[in-house]
Amino acid sequence: MATGNAGDAINNNRVGPVMRAGDVAQAAAEAAEMDNPGKEITVDDKVAYLRISAENELILTRESMEECLGRAFQMQEIEINLSSFSGQIDANSDRVRFYFDKEL
Amino acid sequence: MAHLKREDWYDLTRTTNWTPKYVSEEELFPEEMSGGRGIPMEAWETYDEPYKVTYPEYVTTQREKDSGAYSVKAALERDAFVDRADPGWVSTMIAHYGAIALAEYLAVTAEGRMARFAKAPGNRNMAVFGMMDENRHCQLQLFFPHANTQRSRQWDWAHKAYHSNDWAAIAARSFFDDVTATRDAVAVSIMLTFAFETGFTNMQFLGLAADAAEAGDHTFASLISSIQTDESRHAQQGGPSLKILIENGKKEEAQALVDAAIWRAWKLFSVLSGPILDYYTPLEARKQSFKEFMLEWIVAQFERQLLDMGLDKPWYWDEFIRALDETHHGMHLGVWYWRPTVWWNPAAGVTPEEREWLEEKYPGWNDTWGQCWDVIVDNLLNGKPELTGPETLPLVCNMSQLPIVGTPGNGWNVKDYQYEYEGRLYHFGSEPDRWCFQQDPERYKKHMSLIDRFLAGEIQPADLAGALIYMGLEPGEIGDDAHNYEWLEAYKQKVDSAA
Repeated sequence: MATGNAGDAINNNRVGPVMRAGDVAQAAAEAAEMDNPGKEITVDDKVAYLRISAENELILTRESMEECLGRAFQMQEIEINLSSFSGQIDANSDRVRFYFDKEL
Repeated sequence: MAHLKREDWYDLTRTTNWTPKYVSEEELFPEEMSGGRGIPMEAWETYDEPYKVTYPEYVTTQREKDSGAYSVKAALERDAFVDRADPGWVSTMIAHYGAIALAEYLAVTAEGRMARFAKAPGNRNMAVFGMMDENRHCQLQLFFPHANTQRSRQWDWAHKAYHSNDWAAIAARSFFDDVTATRDAVAVSIMLTFAFETGFTNMQFLGLAADAAEAGDHTFASLISSIQTDESRHAQQGGPSLKILIENGKKEEAQALVDAAIWRAWKLFSVLSGPILDYYTPLEARKQSFKEFMLEWIVAQFERQLLDMGLDKPWYWDEFIRALDETHHGMHLGVWYWRPTVWWNPAAGVTPEEREWLEEKYPGWNDTWGQCWDVIVDNLLNGKPELTGPETLPLVCNMSQLPIVGTPGNGWNVKDYQYEYEGRLYHFGSEPDRWCFQQDPERYKKHMSLIDRFLAGEIQPADLAGALIYMGLEPGEIGDDAHNYEWLEAYKQKVDSAA
């Protein structure tokens, strides 16, 4: 950390899913690029899990997940591999949205 | 046949409040169990769970999760990973199962309390699934270690630990009883699901999964990361409760519940995840240090979310950040020193290479904790192992039930934080531990720490042997150095080459 104070790690606006490693996680990382045009998507590979994140808001759609997986995909299926996430969550049948209400 | 989307019918079907005619609202939802806090029922009905699931979806999803976890176990069983795993890693698993499995069952009752007594229909609905989740977690974490009971009796502590008076079990029970077994539905949603599950469970179930994958233990990595997918859903029950409390002028109370739960969880994890991630896990498998995992999961993710919900950083923020460099090193030293009193074999984790790693991750380690380990190494090399084991009792905190620790050596700062209440003198490991007690002395005042019990004559004979009997540790279960002191070889070679 630039200031050298570990507690400053709280000052971030990163949101997004933390997925168990596997094909769904890889698809989510690709889908995040498609569903959030113009946003820089970060993928931190921790072997057991992938932390996928963007600033303030990150959306994953069912359509993109199907395209990246090459098979039918119910949005709810993401839960099988969604071990955690940063930010708040808002989910329906067509997409999952990770977001913060307040920007720091 | 076309199906309606979940969002087109979900709200209607889970709007299950009604106007009671035969009993009063107070009788239907007793304050002690529901914790409505005077907030009107209409406000609780605005509770909107952000992570929704229906029963058919739940069953389908959970079936997939279970078949995944069990099939990995079945596929790798013949591989007998446990037999060739580093003993430090075996200790990690044994400590984990004992500390976690039955706490999951306790969480079933907490979810059950919300399922019945929460005034918010959405909370009741999600808690039904949460209840089944926790049952799954308990079953999995009893079943997986059971296969290893043929290898050592210590594995049996997955089931035994919470039924014993082992000091670590007393500490874990003290925390989980506080936030799960003895709180109203709203407080459970905040202290257990929000503070503990969106926060700390990530440390033990994902931080550790990262190390497990590096260590080659794919069964364990798959199991605990699968469990955490349930948590990430049902942990979302606390957020809407927090919003309702804040909107109805109860922010201060909500903040105090969160602050107390975070601090108590932190202390418990400093003795569980801390030693595991920084000392027991083989050096080459350590993905990050305990502190780095804490910064990733607790500071950058969980605490940031707390701000977004409209709460503030805990009042003890600076002390918490400072303690990330300190507490778990003291806990580890204590656990290793009192190693006969735990159901696993603590790994010392202080070979010269490991000390280099510790110094890099925690600058100053060699000058502080390192000095204590220098004495231990000298005693072992000089044939005085009796000087590296328990002779006396540690001073134990009346909140965390864990030893009061601080920085030793050149950074000495160990302090007993005292408080007298109704004529009894209580001891605490930190200002926030004392603050937790002061929030509700009636709740905590009668609890006897292990040391209190010892001094009251409850442990006989009043020596280590008596303590082991009291703690339920039988031969074959009593802890000793995980590597049978083989790590001393590197120090012997150093001495030999100096001579």
